[in-house]
Amino acid sequence: MTTNQSHINSEQAGAQPVIDVLSVSKWFGNVVAVNDVTLQVYPGITGLLGPNGAGKTTILHLIAGLARCSDGSVTVLGEPVRDNPDLYKRVGVMSEHEAVYGFYTGRQFVEFAARMHGLKPLKGPVDRAIEMVALGDAQGRSVGTYSRGMRQRIRLAASLVHNPEVLILDEPLNGTDPRQRIEFHETMIRIASEGRTILISSHILEEVETLADRILLMVSGKLAAAGDFRAIRAKLDEQAYKVRVVTTSPRAMASALMAMEEVDSVSVGPEEGELIALSRNVNTLQLSIPRLAQEHGIRLLRVEPLDDSLESIFSYVVER
Amino acid sequence: MVPVFWLSISQLTGRWRVILITLLAALPVGLAVIVHFAATEDDSFDENFMDILLDGMLVAGIVPLVTMALSTASFGNELEDRTLSFLTLKPIARWQIALPKFLASIAISGPLLIVSGVVAALLGFDGSIKAAAAVGVAVLVGVTAYAAIFTWAGLVTSRPLAFALIYVLLWEGVISTYIDGVNYLSVRGYTLGIMYGINENGFGSLSERVIEFPAAIVGAIVVTMVFSLLGVRRLRRMDVP
Repeated sequence: MTTNQSHINSEQAGAQPVIDVLSVSKWFGNVVAVNDVTLQVYPGITGLLGPNGAGKTTILHLIAGLARCSDGSVTVLGEPVRDNPDLYKRVGVMSEHEAVYGFYTGRQFVEFAARMHGLKPLKGPVDRAIEMVALGDAQGRSVGTYSRGMRQRIRLAASLVHNPEVLILDEPLNGTDPRQRIEFHETMIRIASEGRTILISSHILEEVETLADRILLMVSGKLAAAGDFRAIRAKLDEQAYKVRVVTTSPRAMASALMAMEEVDSVSVGPEEGELIALSRNVNTLQLSIPRLAQEHGIRLLRVEPLDDSLESIFSYVVER
Repeated sequence: MVPVFWLSISQLTGRWRVILITLLAALPVGLAVIVHFAATEDDSFDENFMDILLDGMLVAGIVPLVTMALSTASFGNELEDRTLSFLTLKPIARWQIALPKFLASIAISGPLLIVSGVVAALLGFDGSIKAAAAVGVAVLVGVTAYAAIFTWAGLVTSRPLAFALIYVLLWEGVISTYIDGVNYLSVRGYTLGIMYGINENGFGSLSERVIEFPAAIVGAIVVTMVFSLLGVRRLRRMDVP
């Protein structure tokens, strides 16, 4: 059974959610950071997506018990999370901030986390956690000398050292390179396959797309959509995206574009030689434009997607 | 609690901070050495020495400044670099975070300041063990009370050093000196009261301006307890960045 299947089965069977956020709001003075959000997270990998400033970190802080809800309630594993330190024996949290104790070596940093969890003996869990993030060779080096990606990984090791049932990760892939991302994905999938619950936040759609089967979309402090990733993605694919084309021969280019099956419409932009093409298959369109230009002897000055950003995708979801 | 204590010791013993507090703590000793060898024939030496060096410099200045440099940083730095969440997300009660941090700042500033005060007293009072003991005990009490106040300040304000400086200069330095009765609400007043209470003869010139020995002890205990509890309460209720 895949992670996704187990997750969906849990939800369908009406199982108790591992993380249960009920009508939660959080405001700082006059600023509403999270507005009446209700969401549930079940075993498996759930992605918390949203543009910067959407309230992802705030909701994760509320779920982790770092912040107090202005309204509503949060339970993790059936227990209130705030003022309940014992719960952290079963929960691992990796915050967004990269700060670490620079005077520790990587190993000392993970050992410190293990000690704080009361683990004895330390060696086994610490070795396992460091191995999981592939930092065995650098474990004796001072954390202060680590690259950004290495810091993220050692922080992940410290979050995993007590083998938590629930893992909450805020932007864990910041600063990691493609190879580290692949390793991270493999680690997360392995952990989730053991029946654990992982909640990962990101503002990069592709980052979560390959990892999480279920997503929670946040926009402007509200939950915009929640559910199976593929279903939401299919809805998103119905949206027509805008591509900006600047050329020395706008009339000829417009004619060529209108002949394409992928293009819904073409309009003239405010800049000289500018065209705005609407398409539901923006990737094919972008690949086809240079070929079209070559065939028709048109000189292209610029081709760029206008709204292929998470913000526009979320706007689309919210409007629906 | 032990891992948090040693973590805090490591955090607070950065090179520049250690150099700064060591220099500050060495000032009374340096001054005492100079005065000891330069003015031993002066009959009024003991009295002036005590007033200028022990009260004016050590108790009113060096003790709060050194304690401030350490205690405001014990939480202030963690809030600034956002590492506090690393501790609060562990399965330990908040008092088990606050207490070792409080003790760590005392463990660093206490010995330094006690040695400074004791050596200065031994030099200034011709090797009087009783005077030295009085200074040592009083300094320890002062450090403990200040540490509780400044550790709390590190949690409640984003500018704990500014808060602590204003408090030390205005409240402990000016107001407690010139307004009667404020000594009962002043760590400086408790420190001098305990110093005098242990060695009345040695510190006779303080008799006009110190509070009673029991009041000094009770006041120091109350301030330490109240601000420690306020610190733990703040740590429990605050949103950790």
